[in-house]
Amino acid sequence: MPDFSLKFTQTPTTDAGTFKLLELPADLCKLIESSLDTPPSLVIKGDSNEHAVLCTADKTYTVRSVVLSNSILTVTPPRAGEFEHGSSDDLVIRDQIHEVLELVPCLPKLDKLGGLLRGREYDEGRDDEEDMDEDMDDGRPTKRRKLTYEDARAMLQASDVELENGLKTRRVLTLRGELRPIAPSHLTTILELLLNYLVSLSLSHEAAPIEDLAAALEEDHEIRREVSRQVMAWFGETKGGLWTMDTSATVREVGIGIMRAYKNDPIAEDEFLKKWRATVGDKFESVVDLNLLSGNYLSSPSQFIEPPVPLLTYFPASALPVDPAQRFGDLFLTRPRWKAEDIAPFLTDIAFDHKERDRLLLKFARAVTDSEGVWYTARAKYNS
Amino acid sequence: MIIPVEVAINERSGRKLPPSFAQFGTDEIVLVDLQGVLDVEGEMKGQFVGKLSVDDETVSMTFASRTRRTTTYRAEQKKPSLLIGHHLLEGKLVNLPKPLAIMHRVPPEPTEDDPSGLDDDSPTSTSAPPTWKIVAVVKRKMVFAKRPMPMVGKPSSTVTSGKS
Repeated sequence: MPDFSLKFTQTPTTDAGTFKLLELPADLCKLIESSLDTPPSLVIKGDSNEHAVLCTADKTYTVRSVVLSNSILTVTPPRAGEFEHGSSDDLVIRDQIHEVLELVPCLPKLDKLGGLLRGREYDEGRDDEEDMDEDMDDGRPTKRRKLTYEDARAMLQASDVELENGLKTRRVLTLRGELRPIAPSHLTTILELLLNYLVSLSLSHEAAPIEDLAAALEEDHEIRREVSRQVMAWFGETKGGLWTMDTSATVREVGIGIMRAYKNDPIAEDEFLKKWRATVGDKFESVVDLNLLSGNYLSSPSQFIEPPVPLLTYFPASALPVDPAQRFGDLFLTRPRWKAEDIAPFLTDIAFDHKERDRLLLKFARAVTDSEGVWYTARAKYNS
Repeated sequence: MIIPVEVAINERSGRKLPPSFAQFGTDEIVLVDLQGVLDVEGEMKGQFVGKLSVDDETVSMTFASRTRRTTTYRAEQKKPSLLIGHHLLEGKLVNLPKPLAIMHRVPPEPTEDDPSGLDDDSPTSTSAPPTWKIVAVVKRKMVFAKRPMPMVGKPSSTVTSGKS
């Protein structure tokens, strides 16, 4: 029966608090154990006023501390020469631990990005020199510091892959290392030009040479190559110098661009579709479909023209509040009653699935059925 | 703020735990779960805590199954016991429901000859943020969950196991 002598460390002050226990979810444990030769990079991120998160290359976990009433001792062999009359049967208590850190998978926290990028929009004809002049105004301290990718990486609690996806869906350019969201109107211009050049240079939209397109845009319209290249990467795949366009995404974005002008004054549906088709050109006309724009417009019959024609107004779901109660408040302010199929597109980005959407409708709206179908009206006043 | 966490579970310090003890964790680090805390009077540095023994005999367990046949199997589990002062604790091996990563804080510049970063004796600068290393992933621990049994005999140390 082997006996061991359990001893405290010789250096209690430096050893105390140097150990922490991290409870590993199955997928993370696999990741750590499977890649012994190329260890995964893990980082803990967060400000002092935020809950810490642990990020792998592509996932984010919130870190929660769970206090234990027991103490867990970390026991190791003694270091060389730690005990004068040490024997091979010595065991050393390095630290006593009273908490375990739990990891819970979570969504990346990217909502801070909107605030960080405010006022940094990249638009046509605005140069970086102008920005600098603004900053030098009245000798005040520079208000707007450059926000680099590295800054965003340090400030946002998201893994690298999630951050890159977030920047892509928010249409943020990286110019000279600085993050600049592209102005929506400028983006539409670039996409329209790209569609035109695909036709005029007779290039295939499934494999268009990126260099040719970028050069044409720079020469004729002074659009920087780095901008057009990044835009192409957002709307399709770039591989080996060739661009495979995501047709419906491009056509959709162009449609939203046209729609954007009709925020206050509505446009007749036919007129809009005509405009949209004309903008995307003969080649992509067939892709044009009002369903592509669901969640971005409101359709209502005109009151002055006989017979009534549907009129469209720009109304993007992305500009509505994220909080469900506030969103329903806004929606019912816009229209006192909604048809089920009309309200659904404005709920997709806050509801995880159909079940969740129906649950929200049940909670925040009242359903009324008449000869025309189901109508939703406000259940109570939410805009207080 | 970003705190890097390095995975270094295949780095070896070259010093190993005795095999009969290492079976309760890894060969370089073992977690010992005690009820309450170790309460120390006076100097803690290098203090002798107690005598830990691991019973070599395998424990035979007998189960009565539903078919009314009695099955006996030999578990490879060995019984640890810990004698602290006049108190004897009996422990057991517990498999963790979820594996635990043991993270160890490394001084900003670990020395080359001590890759495990276990040597904290060198003066550490406070300016650089600490780096944490995952030094091991453990799936079991040694647990002493029972009440200590009083032993008549010579005391083994001045440390007492107190319940918190």
